[in-house]
Amino acid sequence: MNDRTLDRQPAARAIDPITLSVLWNRLLSITEEMGSTLRRTAFSEAVREGDDFSTGLFDRHGRLVAQGNFTPGHTGSMPFLVKSVLKEFPPETLEPGDSILTNDSYLGSGHFPDMFLVTPVFRDRQIIGFTCNTAHHVDVGGQAPGSQEVKGVTDAVQEGIRILPVRALKKGEFDRDVIRIILGNVRLPEKVFGDLKAQRNANFVGARRLVELFENYGGNQFDSAVEEILTISEERMRARIRQLPEGTYAYQDVMDDAGVGSEPIRFHCQITIKDGTATLDFSGSSDQVPAGINSYINYTNAYGGFAFKVLADAVLPQNDGAARAVRAIARPGSFFNPQYPAPSGGRAAISTRMFEVINGALKDVLPERVMGAFSQWANPNISGTDDRTGKPFVQYDLIFAGYGGQFTKDGIEALSPVMNCTNIPVEVMEATNPILVRQYGIIPDSCGAGKFRGGCGVRKDIEILNSTALATLLGDRHKFQPYGIFGGRPGRLGETVLISDGQEIQLGSKESRAIKQGDVISFRLSGAGGYGPPAERTRQRIQDDIADGYQTEEGARREYGYLPQAAE
Amino acid sequence: MIRVAFDIGGTFTDLVLQDGTRHRLVLHKTPTTPDDLSRGVMDGLTALLRDAAVAPGEVDAIFHATTIATNAILERKGALTGLITTAGFRDILLMGRQKRYDTQNMYMDKPVPLTRRRHIVEVAERTGFDGRILAPLDPASVDAAIDRLLKQGIESVAVALIHSYANPAHELQIAARLAARAPNLAVSLSSQVSPKYREYERTSTTVANAYVKPIVARYTADIEATLAARGFRHRMYIMQSNGGLVTPALAKEYPIRIVESGPAAGVLLCAAVGREEGFERVFTFDMGGTTAKLGAIDDGKPAITSSFEVDAKNFRKWSGLPLNVPAIELIEIGAGGGSIAATDGRLIAVGPESAGAQPGPICYGFGGTRPTITDANLVLGYLNPGYFNGGAMALDSDRAIAGVAAAIGTPLKLAPVEAAWGIHAVANSNMERAMRVISVERGRDPRKYAMVAFGGAGPLHAARLARALGIPTVIVPRGAGVGAAIGMLNADARLDTGVTRLLTLVPGTETVMAEVYADLEARLRADLAHLQGSDGVRWLRYAYMHYKGQGYEIKVDLPDGPIADGYARRAIAAFEATYEQSYGYKDPGAVIEAVDWNLVAVVPTAADGIAPLPPREGTATEPVVGERPAYFAEAGGVIRCKVVDRYRMRTDQAIAGPAIVEEAESTTVVLPGDSVRLSPRGNLVITIGEGR
Repeated sequence: MNDRTLDRQPAARAIDPITLSVLWNRLLSITEEMGSTLRRTAFSEAVREGDDFSTGLFDRHGRLVAQGNFTPGHTGSMPFLVKSVLKEFPPETLEPGDSILTNDSYLGSGHFPDMFLVTPVFRDRQIIGFTCNTAHHVDVGGQAPGSQEVKGVTDAVQEGIRILPVRALKKGEFDRDVIRIILGNVRLPEKVFGDLKAQRNANFVGARRLVELFENYGGNQFDSAVEEILTISEERMRARIRQLPEGTYAYQDVMDDAGVGSEPIRFHCQITIKDGTATLDFSGSSDQVPAGINSYINYTNAYGGFAFKVLADAVLPQNDGAARAVRAIARPGSFFNPQYPAPSGGRAAISTRMFEVINGALKDVLPERVMGAFSQWANPNISGTDDRTGKPFVQYDLIFAGYGGQFTKDGIEALSPVMNCTNIPVEVMEATNPILVRQYGIIPDSCGAGKFRGGCGVRKDIEILNSTALATLLGDRHKFQPYGIFGGRPGRLGETVLISDGQEIQLGSKESRAIKQGDVISFRLSGAGGYGPPAERTRQRIQDDIADGYQTEEGARREYGYLPQAAE
Repeated sequence: MIRVAFDIGGTFTDLVLQDGTRHRLVLHKTPTTPDDLSRGVMDGLTALLRDAAVAPGEVDAIFHATTIATNAILERKGALTGLITTAGFRDILLMGRQKRYDTQNMYMDKPVPLTRRRHIVEVAERTGFDGRILAPLDPASVDAAIDRLLKQGIESVAVALIHSYANPAHELQIAARLAARAPNLAVSLSSQVSPKYREYERTSTTVANAYVKPIVARYTADIEATLAARGFRHRMYIMQSNGGLVTPALAKEYPIRIVESGPAAGVLLCAAVGREEGFERVFTFDMGGTTAKLGAIDDGKPAITSSFEVDAKNFRKWSGLPLNVPAIELIEIGAGGGSIAATDGRLIAVGPESAGAQPGPICYGFGGTRPTITDANLVLGYLNPGYFNGGAMALDSDRAIAGVAAAIGTPLKLAPVEAAWGIHAVANSNMERAMRVISVERGRDPRKYAMVAFGGAGPLHAARLARALGIPTVIVPRGAGVGAAIGMLNADARLDTGVTRLLTLVPGTETVMAEVYADLEARLRADLAHLQGSDGVRWLRYAYMHYKGQGYEIKVDLPDGPIADGYARRAIAAFEATYEQSYGYKDPGAVIEAVDWNLVAVVPTAADGIAPLPPREGTATEPVVGERPAYFAEAGGVIRCKVVDRYRMRTDQAIAGPAIVEEAESTTVVLPGDSVRLSPRGNLVITIGEGR
């Protein structure tokens, strides 16, 4: 056997807990350093301002060892992606300086905008591990700018360029031919290439660091540490799951539709807890839909596994070991395991609902951990040709509002829900694109009442300064309210309103709409659900909410029967 | 020339007097008096001057570092603060950047803001990104906002309008109206406190400034009055986070700039000590009771960062309140002598939870039951139970051993000393991670740096940290226990200003650059008028630049001299060199933009080096005063180890490790393969040898 092939034998030598603790810290710090490199050298607003990327380190067998503090859809898909890439490019075919690029929906994180770059790390011509990162690119071509359109996209081929794993870097430099094909198929080639360079930089920095670590500890210690890290993670996960009562638990919720005029999409999850493992079966959900929103199985696994682990308080460093005990499955051809070429560009909208059905299913098992449903976030793109420069622009946005009420406290206000990115500063948006933000803030009275109320919805009004533009919306909860839990009330419905020539026009949550100068699109996100009966809310909390304007007096009277003059 | 410096810390106030004529340094440590800080300072000053036989009137300058602003923020004890903002943007501050600092924690709390939503009011106005006024300021809305805040009893007001960094006109109009209607309100404008883009970060900085403004004003007035009453004739200067000294008047106006006052002074100490030992590149390592602080000095100058987070949880990005003010670059992690160790049965974790001073480590005997780093260091044999803090405090070894065994040893099936080693090593790995960020991650090659270690626990951990990173030399300065106070003697008065102005760097833009710098210089000249004797001002320019399209900038030092033809080309070259050093690649021909422009005025006030400590009386000839068993993983376990009395060491007499060097305020561990000597200036210099 060539000594560069994957050695499947587990390392025999154990490792002492001290070296192990030290090595683990170091591996995590490498992934953080990769992240800061990516952020600081990126070009698109999604990556540099929105933190819409993630990083990971893999051992020479392609098993995930450590990941940075990034968004679960990426981090959770990465272990599957790296394995698939190595099937296509067996390690013995890789050379120092190579990097493999792919954005395939099925292999990766479920939609084309997420490009993954995998770099083998060599020392003395032997592979000692892999660095990997993924970044959400602001456009990868296809029917609509931003490549996330839902309605009217019936086939993945309409969603932009699909890059099956290719050797995009050789000897540390981009392959000119590959790059020309990619840049020739996207709307903002400068941003895409800039972000690809940032991805290259991140893997370069990570590889340099991994080699140093390997040299400090030697191959045996390093291999033992990896084995041990994976084993510990799996054991801890199983131990935690064993504390939960065995059984089968299910819950169901719906999404508005897959574009105006289509049917609601059913989200159904049946959780089986048995023998230290959890199986999340989404088979009872809708069939795959002819619209750009299906959830490929990697994405299903990423968010399903994440939600379960968070709720079960089994929050461990995410790696291969921790992933072994929790598995998401779904019937082939269903919404959560669609078959290629199912379109999936807008799948980002579903992560909160996936969390919510798992949350609902675990309601009676983990009453102190579950929470009210989230405010549904919005992920719109506003695009066009900038009148000032004649060049295309894509305004990618991330609008986040509140969490549902929790066991001991009100829902957290205005925080990235389930997925984990930052918002994009208003001042950056306006300096970059021909838009003006009219307002951006919390919507009073939108929260679901409860002993602990849900967080409020958020409103963001964006005026178009360009002669024409296209708004591609990606939201939800315009038809079905975010639920409350244990007697908590649901949050208020969300809406998206086009204000044009003095008229207010209600838009669908996933509509695409041509707009013109002076139009204002008003995103009004749903409120989040409450926890526990509203009757148990303290008067002090109600009064504080009124003073701070989260609730009006009228709203407080309606939800809680509050009277300002009532005796204390 | 007689200079006095004092640093008010959480537990102790450190004071130092440097007498230039007699070439000596006098140190004093006194308990901090939290109820009335000026009382502790005065008690300390009285004792210090008595020891030095100096009268208040003879003191030429007084320097001061303080944690008053930091503590007001950390304990949320600042002024009742209001915020005036652009209509439609009331919630910018409360929403923040919205990322969870820990992805897997969906139950987290956001940082408690320094003002409440009820105290945030909107005014009708709008400025565009290019500074154009899109909607004029509505005076009626300003009056309504002021009415509301006054009714609420607000003491301090922040004004932060959208795009005010590009055009401050509306903020200035609001300030004028506030001055007319409520002259007693403290006012902070975002266009003055932090004129940078990204509205959340700018607003956060401005609100924090407003929050501490009244407290800092009262405090500095108190200290000044007390000093004057005691007969001190000369002005006091206050240390800023950026390592420069300012007058109290400026500190009162921009108190947010003194948040990292004490730590900055410590870094200056390291710069001075490095310089006297011949090192221009230094990593600073300050490990005290609750945290460790790590910083860097490049080319003799402390590294300055343009922003940082205060009150960060577990020191994680996105968990604190961002402050866009220049500060000495420091990474602070929860690893101090009092940090608590725990295990889940498989792994050891240390900190950030701290036993603090009360109950403190188990070995203090104040009721602590959970093992800390200090307990581990005692079990390992590094600390002398009878000579902790110069013998002021006896440590209980038996209790520490039992505590370490119960919490770590038994669950992991490790002997107590091995468990203690585990705590020590894991703490080191946490610090190593932070040290890696400050070094290699930011483009600094550890092999070219020395480490200066101070603080009570720093010298115990320094040698191993240096080994892990490949740093060849460790210096433990004299007076390590009062390091920050000594550091101030080596500070210059330093004023910074900066402005956001997006400019593509191409030949021909020199006119604009010259304009920007003329404007910045005019601003600083106004501030310089507050400084006594501002002769010999040095001007330093730097800019934050990026490739067009990137969102983050790197700091680039700009050349001195007139800004004329060819200057843009020199600025481009400076950027490319800096970029390649950080990220391994550069992009020849790509468009480069400068975003923030900065100017620093340095007014020399620093003492010319630190005076040596007076020699101890009755110095014996043999520095090795005994032996005791101590644990060295490098030597395979517990071995007999030399114990060295620092006060008996003679210059340039090298002692080979393993050794433990004891002095009143700290203990230095020297590893097998390393050696330690006393330099002519009185610092311990450890040469890191072979071994990992």
